This record gives sequence, structure tokens and C-alpha cells, in this order.
Amino acid sequence: MVVLSQPERPPASNDSALGWLRKNFFRSWSNALFTLAFGGFVVWALLSVVDWMLLDAVWRVANRDRCGHDAGACWAVIEDRWRLIFFGLYPYEEQWRSSLACLAITLTIVVSCVPAFWSARRLPVLWLAGLGIFFVLMHGGVAGLPVVTTEQWGGLSLTLFIFASVFLLGMPLAVLFALARRSSLPVIAMVTGGFIDIVRSLPLLTILFAAAVVIPILVPDWLQGSKLARVIVAFAVFFAAYQAEIIRAGLQSLSTGQEEAAQALGMPYWSVVVDILLPQAFRNTLPSTINQAVITFKETSIVTVIGFFEVMASGKAVIGTDEWGAQFIEIYVFLALVYFAFVFGLSRYGAWLERRMRVGHG
Amino acid sequence: MTAFLRSKRVHATILQCVFFAALVALFVFLGTTGQRNIEAQGMATGFGFLERSTGWPMAFSMIETSSRSTYAQVLWAGLLNTLLVGVLTLVFATLLGLVVAFLRVSTNLLARFAGTTFVEIFRNVPAILQVVFWYAVLTHTPRPRDAYTLGEVAFLSNRGLVLPAPVFSGTDLLTILAALLAAFGVLAAGRKLNLTRRGRILVVATVIALAVVLWLTGRVPDAPLVSVPELAGLRFVGGMTLSPEFLGLLVGLSLFGAAYVGEIIRGGLLSVEKGKLEAGAALGLSPWQVNRLIRIPLACRAMLPSLANQYIWLMKATTLGLVIGFSDFFAIVSTSINQSGQTLELIGILMAGFLLLNYALGTSMNLVNRRLKLKGGH
Amino acid sequence: MTSKIVTLAAGVALAVSAALPATAQAGDTLSAIQERGSLLCTGHNGSYLGFAEVDDQGKWQGFDIEFCRALATAILGSPDAVQIVPISWAQRFPAIQSGDIDVIIKVTGWTQSRDTELGLQFSLPYFIGPFYVMAQSELGAESIADLEGGVFCANAGTTVERVLADYLESNGIEYQPLSFESGEELRAALYAGRCDALAGFGPFLAATRVNAPDPDSLTIIGEVIQLEPEGIVVREGDDALLDVVNWMVSALLLAEQEGITQANVDEFRASPPSPTIERLLGVSPGVGERLGLSDDWAYNVISAVGNYGEIYDRTVGEGSRYKLPRGLNNLWNNGGLLYPLVLD
Repeated sequence: MVVLSQPERPPASNDSALGWLRKNFFRSWSNALFTLAFGGFVVWALLSVVDWMLLDAVWRVANRDRCGHDAGACWAVIEDRWRLIFFGLYPYEEQWRSSLACLAITLTIVVSCVPAFWSARRLPVLWLAGLGIFFVLMHGGVAGLPVVTTEQWGGLSLTLFIFASVFLLGMPLAVLFALARRSSLPVIAMVTGGFIDIVRSLPLLTILFAAAVVIPILVPDWLQGSKLARVIVAFAVFFAAYQAEIIRAGLQSLSTGQEEAAQALGMPYWSVVVDILLPQAFRNTLPSTINQAVITFKETSIVTVIGFFEVMASGKAVIGTDEWGAQFIEIYVFLALVYFAFVFGLSRYGAWLERRMRVGHG
Repeated sequence: MTAFLRSKRVHATILQCVFFAALVALFVFLGTTGQRNIEAQGMATGFGFLERSTGWPMAFSMIETSSRSTYAQVLWAGLLNTLLVGVLTLVFATLLGLVVAFLRVSTNLLARFAGTTFVEIFRNVPAILQVVFWYAVLTHTPRPRDAYTLGEVAFLSNRGLVLPAPVFSGTDLLTILAALLAAFGVLAAGRKLNLTRRGRILVVATVIALAVVLWLTGRVPDAPLVSVPELAGLRFVGGMTLSPEFLGLLVGLSLFGAAYVGEIIRGGLLSVEKGKLEAGAALGLSPWQVNRLIRIPLACRAMLPSLANQYIWLMKATTLGLVIGFSDFFAIVSTSINQSGQTLELIGILMAGFLLLNYALGTSMNLVNRRLKLKGGH
Repeated sequence: MTSKIVTLAAGVALAVSAALPATAQAGDTLSAIQERGSLLCTGHNGSYLGFAEVDDQGKWQGFDIEFCRALATAILGSPDAVQIVPISWAQRFPAIQSGDIDVIIKVTGWTQSRDTELGLQFSLPYFIGPFYVMAQSELGAESIADLEGGVFCANAGTTVERVLADYLESNGIEYQPLSFESGEELRAALYAGRCDALAGFGPFLAATRVNAPDPDSLTIIGEVIQLEPEGIVVREGDDALLDVVNWMVSALLLAEQEGITQANVDEFRASPPSPTIERLLGVSPGVGERLGLSDDWAYNVISAVGNYGEIYDRTVGEGSRYKLPRGLNNLWNNGGLLYPLVLD
């Protein structure tokens, strides 16, 4: 254990470059030893990654015979198959619609991150509009766009669609669960509590699998919907079970005085909840909510297992067919970068919010 | 009458009755529809299939199974597999997470940089992608005859990691168990007798020495103590083999889990007030002692609830084994559904299994939590 | 009072669910397809080479997919009136039981438990699959017994798992089983040498071999483990749909036997050489009506996808990357096991 932090000592000199180096890298002999040994490793690792990913990489399909021999990464596979990765089974000629739809959802997510849009009226309208545009573009059937059924949806747009609709459906559900669980009526509180705990201890994969194969047996035809719809609803329930606990924590952190004061003023229950409690609870739990959103985004990749061609399955389809089978690492790294771009963006945003709020609270 | 109806308590009762009734109605509705659908299809129902033999073998199992095993046995073996890989994932994720957390709170900038990079990389990529990636890497290692080797006793090839393993027989296990029990008993008695530290060590050493002598004398004379793997034809014989499926799942989930656990531990460490650490240092404790006696116990209490949640999450993530051909509980259920067709029953068993596992995990974490709280009370 | 409300609610729920139609209206899937205007058919979760694979433009291709198109043409008149639902091996039976799909065309072996306990019906075999074992060439195995102790891979949840276990056990060959839910992982594992051998039916093995980075690194061993007839699956009670499926398979075989192809089907229709062909191509009226289809259904099918031989050649045979010989999947008069039914 050479990296343990030690009680602060007044630094020898803080303003020179040497002082900075000493403070950060060579505080003690053990610290210095660590810096040298570990630094060597880090430099070596970084150099090999840069070598493989950039310097030795094969970028163009024209040179692909160099792939897989002495060279580094073979990014030519992306140049050749990026449309399959991003659009999956979506009809080739209609893929522009899929890209526009992706843009619509991404914009919705970005705009709803702006604090000016945080109101109980604006956010739902924004999300409904975003998803509506997405659905019209993807599904078609109006304005001369040919119909594309959900079985053919795929790639990044499917990933984004699942994420956005799970969030949109799951949020109100989570509020409902949270309120029900802290209800003063014991039966409702207990049943909801039990339900939330059960859902939380089941793996998402098994819940989605059950939604895909079990629900159709248990409900009549007219309630069944498409497989995608069922999976999204089940996913939303799973999300809501987690999010409900976050909201409940937020509600518990509020002083009971507020609720009592509002009730003493004669405000009805729903008004107290919507106008006073929820906005504060949401604001207090924003970092956890963003974290939950991040987790949800990553978990959309699980639908691969039950036969949806979202971005990960589409990427695997590239390795699955003929000539690019050996480029599995390139594909996985590329997929990781795609997820990373979204998830890292979201989590940075969460960190920013957290800082902003801490400042706000003084 | 109107006053009666308006009264809050009556309101509440009626509301709850309606809620409960709606719930019952929902279950009845699902049940009858399900039954009608199953009858209309002529599908087999009931749990009779559990007694039938499966006809397919399991790739990996800790108990003896074959293609003649019953569904019940195979499902049990699957649950044990999930438990094994889950518990190991928790252990590795925690150990690695601890390292990452200490890197991130270090005063050394380089260490902080490395810790942060680790967390950002492994936390921001879906677990399934990481598992698939590590599996691909592990299967692309050389064939057994060109395996990477460490001193000719451990081998890494596309058949997995082969390690030397101690050779145990049933009696050996019994001896070891008895020795452990004896050591604990002696220790417990020693506490009452107020033995000194040195005295305790002496007693334990005596017990262990006795056990070793007993073990050595009880063995077949020339039997080796440790089985060292050797290449024989297609595969390694001897030793202990960790298959790429098992390793891929374990490595992928451990790294992913470590990023999260590391952040939780870091949060716990940061929650310990500086004043307490400084007080420790002022009392003349070494940095290591400050960490061991003050920082870690206090941090533990702060982080246990989030850690419990993360552990349950990791346990659930073992279902990803299905994707890379590891015989986890979900994979076994999935294959059983396909082979026996009894979807409803098997999904029910699957959910019950996970409820049980996670309930046990949650309860034991609560126990630990309570123990820590008590200690803190002194 | 509580118990009264609960009983009442339960009663209402019972009544409602009894009044509503059940999920799978056995018997009228055919009219349901016609009403919907599209056929819900099986794809795969990933690619099952030669039979259901996703090409570089994200389109479904393959032998099974062609049969989905042929069936859609027979019922609805257009090969595009089909929705391919991506589905894994494990999901195919629950999916058809629940009505997510209308038929399973996914090289599904006709086994007793599937036929009885799952509430399914099988059509005439549309493909004959002999099970083989394909080994890594460098092992130099000449028979399956030479692979003693090796790792045998298979698709999880398929009949192969059971057939392989039976064969190896009865021959006293020890082995390590390994099975995968996803075709991509299975292939990756095989190509990387994780498996010493892959068990499966011949065409799939051959297609997997062609796709390998180095096809010569894999060798199919000559022993047939077992022969499995693959049928198209419909729900129990869907007799009308089963009839259509059976006669569609038969029509494709009859067309090949009579030399009717996609290219010359119009000439045959203009001047049918025999009464059978007249009936097949709907020149004499009334033959489609028996099945609940239009009279020219078989003509539509052949002009949309060609005859059996053409489908085979295009997807897995000489005209494809896989170049598989017809073997057992030839017509009876060419040494194969397939034959059309009598069209009278």
C-alpha cells in the first residue's frame, strides 16, 4: 500500500513547477517509487493502444489485405459496414429516415438536459413530440413514406428508441410507485413495496424474456401488442422499480413541515404532490436519476439476447457474415466507443449538475 | 350516513378494498386466460417434467450431471453455477474496487489518473459487450500445444486457464474440516482463558501441525499432493481447468463491477471526516494504522447500503453467461424451455431461483450492516 | 365487505376473460394472415448461415427465408407480404404458441415431444438434414472416435444436443459438450479453436466451413450421426394452414420434377403439357379454392421464387457461396429423398 493518502502536511513550496511535481508525484520515497513503476506501465499501455488504434491501423477497404497480419486495427471494416451497424435490418433505401429519427431523439435528450426546460408541463410535451416525430419517421405510412414494421427496426435508432420510450413510460410509473409505497394506506404501501422489491431482485434479462414469451400466453390477443411494445413496457416497469426508490428517497429528504403546511392551507393531495413535493424531490435526486438513465442506456444492449437488432446485435451481424469475421475486436471497440459517447456524455452532464447543485445549496 | 362515508377511515378502507380487489381480479384474469390458451393449444402443463431425463449434457457443472440427469438436477446444477460465478465476481470486484478506490483518493496525480481512466472505461460500456469482448479475447489465445505458460505448471490456451490443484479425497476434506473446527474451538476457548496473542498463535500452529501430520499419514503413500496439468493429446489432464466461458464472464463482470464498487468505496472513504484522520495521526498512528483502524471501518458503514445494491446487481448480471455459452441458471432454463416446451413453469422456477438468491444475499448484507453498527456503538 | 368486493371483482374478471377470445385462435390463422395482409415468419437472432442470414445491407437471405416468401406468395400473392421476426432457437416454440409468429420455418426437426406436448403440427419434410461432425483439420481425425476427449460444440436447445449425446454415449466416446445460444458466438468459438468439433446438420456445417477464415482448417467427417427430417411448424388445430404449407412444398417439388422454372413458367402456363400442370398452374379452375387460395397461387409462387431446385441453388447450392451438393435433398428420381404429392 504505497498509495495511501496521508494527512496533509504544509507543502514545501507550492508555486514552482518543481513543487507541483513533488506534491503530486514524489511526496515520499514510496510515492516516488510508485510513480516511476506505475508511470512506466501507463506509458507503455498508452503507447500500445495508440499504436494499434491509430498508427498501425488500416483505414481503407482498398488495403484490406493488410488486415489481420502485422498491422494494427482494421478500421476498414467500419468503412465497409457502418450502415449495417447503425441501421441493422432497416430497409437500405429508407435508412435516411432512420438517421433523421436518431437525430430527433438525440435532440430531445439534449434539449431536456437544459434546466430551462425542467417543468412538469414542458418536459412531457417535449418528449412526446420527440418520440412522435421518431415514430412517424421510422414507421412511415404517412406522407408517402412506405411502412416499415417494428420487426425491421434496428441499429442505433432502435437502441435510442428503447431508451427514450422506457424513460418516458417509466418516469410517471416510478412516481406512481413511489407515492403508493409511502402511502398511508397499509395495503397499498405493502403490495407496492413487495412488488418493487421483487422486480428489483430479478435480472432484467429474465423479465424481458418473460415479456417476450410468457405474457402472450397470459393475456388475450387484443392486449398483446407487438413484441417490441411488450419488451418496452416490461423494461419500463423494471426502470420504474429502481427509479421509484430514488424518488422515494428524494421525498423522504424533504421536511415534513412543508407537506403539513400545504395541507393546513387546504391544498388538495395531488396539488401538494405535483406542485410542492415532486419538483423538490426530483431536483434533489437529479444525480441519481441521471445515473439510472446511464445504467438504462447501457442495459438496452440486453435486448440483443431476445432477438432485436439494436446497435450491438447489428455489430455482431457484421462479424457473423462472410469476410469480416476476424475483425471482432475492431467491431467491439467501435461499439464500445458508440456507447461510450452517449454514456460518457450523460454521466459528465450528471457530474456537472451535481456540482451546480452543490454550489446552489451553498 | 354521509358523514360516515366522508370520514377518512372509511375512505381509506374502501380505497384499499378496491385496490386489493382489482389486484385479485388481475390475477384471476391472467390465470384463466392462460389456462384457456394452454388448453386451446394442447400444451402440456405441470411440473411432472422435472422428473424426466433431459437427454442433453451440461458443459459445466459442479455436481455430477449427464444426459441422463433429470431436469430438476440440471436446474439445481445451473443455480449452483450461477452462485459460484456470482460469489467469485463479488469477491474480485470488491478487491479490485478497493484498489481502484485507493488509487482515486491517492495524493499521487498519476494514481488518480489511472483510477479515473479505469472507472470511466469500464463503467461506460455495457456489461454484455465487455463479457463478449473478453470471451472473444480468451478464445483467441493459442491452442493447447502452444499455450502461454507460467513455469510449465499453469497454462492459458483457448481451452481456458489450467492451474495446478491440490488433490483432495473425501477423507482429506474431512480432516481439513475437523482441523478448522478444532482451531476455532481452541480459539474460542482461548478467549475465555485470556490467552496472550503468542499463546493463541502457538495453539493454532499446534492444531495445524497435528492436522498436517494426520493428513500425511492417512494418505496413500505415493499419491501426489498437488496435481499438475500436463498436455495430453487434445487437452490438458490433471490440475483444474477454468473454461473460457467461465473466465470470460468472471473477468467481464469483475472489471465492470470493480468500476462501480470502486466508486462506492471512494464515496465511503471521502465521507470520513478529515478531522478524525488527523486525530488518529496526532495520536501517533502510522498512515496504515489510520486507514485500517479509522478510515476503513467508518467508510464501510457509510457505503454498505449502496454496496448491497451493487452486489445484487452483479449477481443478476451473471445471466449474461447465456450469451457466451456458460451454463448459468438462465442458460439452463432457456435450453430447458426449448427442449421441454414448458415455458410458464420454467420461467416461474427461474424467477423463484433469483428471488431466493438475492433474498439470501440481501439478508446477509443486512446482517453485516447490523454487526458493523453494533461495533460502532462501543 | 372486503371479501364481497374481492369476490365480485374476481367474478367480473372471470366473466370478462371468458367472454373474450383466447390468444391463439387455432384453426383460423390462415384467415388471420389474409386479414392482416402479411405473414409473420421466423428469422434468427443473428445469422444461421445459408438458412437465415443478414446480408451487408441488413436484408434477410437464405433457404428458410425463401420458404417464408414462397408461403407469403401462396397465401397473399406477393413475396414481400412477409414480416421476418428475429427469434432465437429457444424462443421459436413459445413464440408460435403465443401467436407472435404464424409459422416456424427454421429447419425444425420433427420430434415426438414437439409434436405432442408442445401442441404443434409438422408439415411434410421440406429439407432432409443428416447430422455430421466437423472437426478441426489439424487434429487429423478420420472418424468421430478419433475425437475422443475433445470439445464438441452445438447450438443450444436444438435436437443436435440430444442426438450427439446419444450417439457418443452409445459408442462409448467421452467428450466435453459446449453449446451456444447465439450463432455468432458459436462460429467465433469454432474458428478460434475453442471447439475441436462442431456437430450439426450437413448444410449448416458446410456453410460454416465456407465462412471460416481458412475453410481448409475444418473437415467434415463422413459418419452420419442421424438423419432428421425438417418440417414447417404450425399450431395444433391450424389444419387449413397446414394444408397450404404441405401443398406449397409439394408444388415447389412438382415444378422441379416437371422442369417448370421461374423463367419458363409463363410458357408452361400458356400451353400446359399435361392436366397435372394445368391444375398446378391454375389453368383449370377450382384447384386453389380447395385450399382457400386463388387458383393461380402456385403460378405466383414459382414466378416469385422459382422451383425447389432454384431456391436450393440460389441460397445454399451451386449458385451460392456455399456450393453444397443436393445430396439427399434431391428429387427421388435423382437419388434424393424428396417427392411431390399427387395433384389430382
